Amino acid sequence: MDRILRDKKAIFIFVAPALTLFIVVLVIPIFQMIFYSFCNYAALTPPEFIGWANYKKLFTNDQTFRIALKNSIFFMIFSAVTQQVIGLFLAVLLTNIKRGRNLFKNIIYLPCVLSSAALGLLWAFLFNPKIGINALLAKFGVRGPLWLMDSKGFIPLPMWVIAFVALWQYVGQNMMLYMAQITGISKELYEASYVDGANKRQSFRYITMPLVRPMVITSLSLNCIGSLKFFDLVYNMTQGGPNHRTEVLATELYAEGFNYFKYGYASAISVVLLIMCLAVTLIIRKAIKVETYES
Amino acid sequence: MKKKSLAAVLSAAMVMGTIVSAATPMTVMADDPEEITWMFWDDLEATQDLISLGYADVIDRFNTTYEGQYHCTPITTNLEEYDGKVNALIAAGQTPDLWICNPGPNMDVYVKAGVAADLTDILQKDNPDWYDSFTDGIFERMTYDGKIMAVPTNFAAACVYYNTEIFKDAGVEVPTTYDELIDVCKKLKDAGYTPISCSAGTAWCLSMIAGYLCDRSGVDLGAIADHTADWTDDNCIRAGERLKELSQYFQDTAAGDSNDQATANFYNGDAAMLVQGSWAIAQMNGSNPDFESRCGVFQFPGIPEENDPNRMIVKTDNLLMSASTEHQDAVIALMKMFTDEEAQKYTAEVGGKFPIIRDVEIDYNKAPAQLKYVQDIMQNVTGTLGFYNESLDSVEAGDCFDNAMVDIFLGNQTPEEAFQTVEDFYNENVWTE
Repeated sequence: MDRILRDKKAIFIFVAPALTLFIVVLVIPIFQMIFYSFCNYAALTPPEFIGWANYKKLFTNDQTFRIALKNSIFFMIFSAVTQQVIGLFLAVLLTNIKRGRNLFKNIIYLPCVLSSAALGLLWAFLFNPKIGINALLAKFGVRGPLWLMDSKGFIPLPMWVIAFVALWQYVGQNMMLYMAQITGISKELYEASYVDGANKRQSFRYITMPLVRPMVITSLSLNCIGSLKFFDLVYNMTQGGPNHRTEVLATELYAEGFNYFKYGYASAISVVLLIMCLAVTLIIRKAIKVETYES
Repeated sequence: MKKKSLAAVLSAAMVMGTIVSAATPMTVMADDPEEITWMFWDDLEATQDLISLGYADVIDRFNTTYEGQYHCTPITTNLEEYDGKVNALIAAGQTPDLWICNPGPNMDVYVKAGVAADLTDILQKDNPDWYDSFTDGIFERMTYDGKIMAVPTNFAAACVYYNTEIFKDAGVEVPTTYDELIDVCKKLKDAGYTPISCSAGTAWCLSMIAGYLCDRSGVDLGAIADHTADWTDDNCIRAGERLKELSQYFQDTAAGDSNDQATANFYNGDAAMLVQGSWAIAQMNGSNPDFESRCGVFQFPGIPEENDPNRMIVKTDNLLMSASTEHQDAVIALMKMFTDEEAQKYTAEVGGKFPIIRDVEIDYNKAPAQLKYVQDIMQNVTGTLGFYNESLDSVEAGDCFDNAMVDIFLGNQTPEEAFQTVEDFYNENVWTE
């Protein structure tokens, strides 16, 4: 086996199927997308090269794009902070309890495996002005807000609502990642710290935190990229409305591409989204230093 | 060496298998019926809408009549996602053989791109009897440079539906002018009723009222298209102010209610009036059959000295045939079935929409009562207009108008600001061309 793995030809042959698919499904479309972003392309007619015009319009003359960019960045920051903190908190909590651990783990993780489209519709019903939460509030004489239609404020209420639903849905994923990492930390380290007089908080601060740091990079990167390209809940709960106030980059590019047939322009948004994802990943990798504590 | 060779063979087989399976079309046996697809904007299995159920009947009838020869599989989606999904299929080269489409910019795109088939010869030369069966002038909005690009299945007109019991209880009469409408709304509100049910959550519903107010205020879309008039002209601003004024009388939840919820509000007796197309008759009577006897209809009130008060918003549902379909005969057979006497009688007598063929005898005793009222109103109509969002330069321009009206309603923009937004859009995207 070792002899095969040292053979470069054999390695290439093993990698070839995945590499071929990767190129066909990902690399070629990315280059196509970059090319189309410089074109006036309506999908039904041949693309016409127009240089930087799409990008120029995007950054200088597209109010909806600015709203989508703002909302996507808000969504990324909100999700990164809340999902990481609560995910880690739940992971620490559940690794420290003996009874009911699997039950709670499954309950918290359950929304993650459900369809976002179905959940989006479900929450849209719950936040509907006539049924769900508002109907409940009305029984106590309270008039609920327009959860998904309020358009006031820098970050309008529907964006907070969607961010909350996303937190509810995906916090379990972060919890699972951190649990896997925490479970891998040797118990002897904790025992040694207790012998040395450390309390629970100190052992978390000086043992758990440094040792989960590699997972922070993975979890945070996945979290940020997932938030930037977030689509389904927004689409199913508000469709970017009212008047684009809850538009995010993914819904904006969907509308430009599929509603208005502006595939060139939608491709330019996709390129911006791709660059943002790459930049965020790079920043996270540079910003979080990982040191090896155990061999 | 053997292992290496084996690995190479297996890897190659995996890659080839993936490529071949992706590229190979499904095999069709010679005896199989010709399979065609029809795309539609409602779930035919779950819908209660009587017009949609009529369409479902046509599909069943087609599959039974042509059993072994043709077979149609409907592709359905909800209305809100319909255009996006059709566009995605077309862009992916998987255009349905036949699909339903609103008139206006969407159809313009399909026609300009050559996706929709030219039906002129099919209608006029190959099937003259079929062509002659249609009502005069019905092909006007679907004719491009003299070519007929679609076949209509019905047409509908937008009116104001009202609850006769609530009107009687509040002691109000049907208004004929905008000022009277406001007066009626005030009285209804004072009597404890919600005067108008409207959906701003589904922007086109609000936009339909805005379209009427614009038209009644003298806005000329033709002049705007030619840029001999502007969106910032006084008549547009007046229409915006009237929309703001009228929207005070909408239900509290209008901002978030969907079209279905707003319509349900009305047929459940929670609101006195509803501005809707006559397609809503099927939905109202299908969902609450008892309501039919309590539902009256009047035309959207006029504004004296500003514009002709007898113009009416109308629209047709249209069938487009794919220019690339390999099953033209099957598609034509299905289109004929959508427009035959049986389907058209159903359209009027059950669905509550107007037939698009002449010589169809409608039994108004069977037809929804509201249809007769709408037809009476149609007798006085002096001109028609399309939905504003379907009458502007592009789908995006229509959305821009819809969103501006929602912003007026929500109070995010004054009428001046909202119409300036539309004006800016036209300056950047329409008038430059």
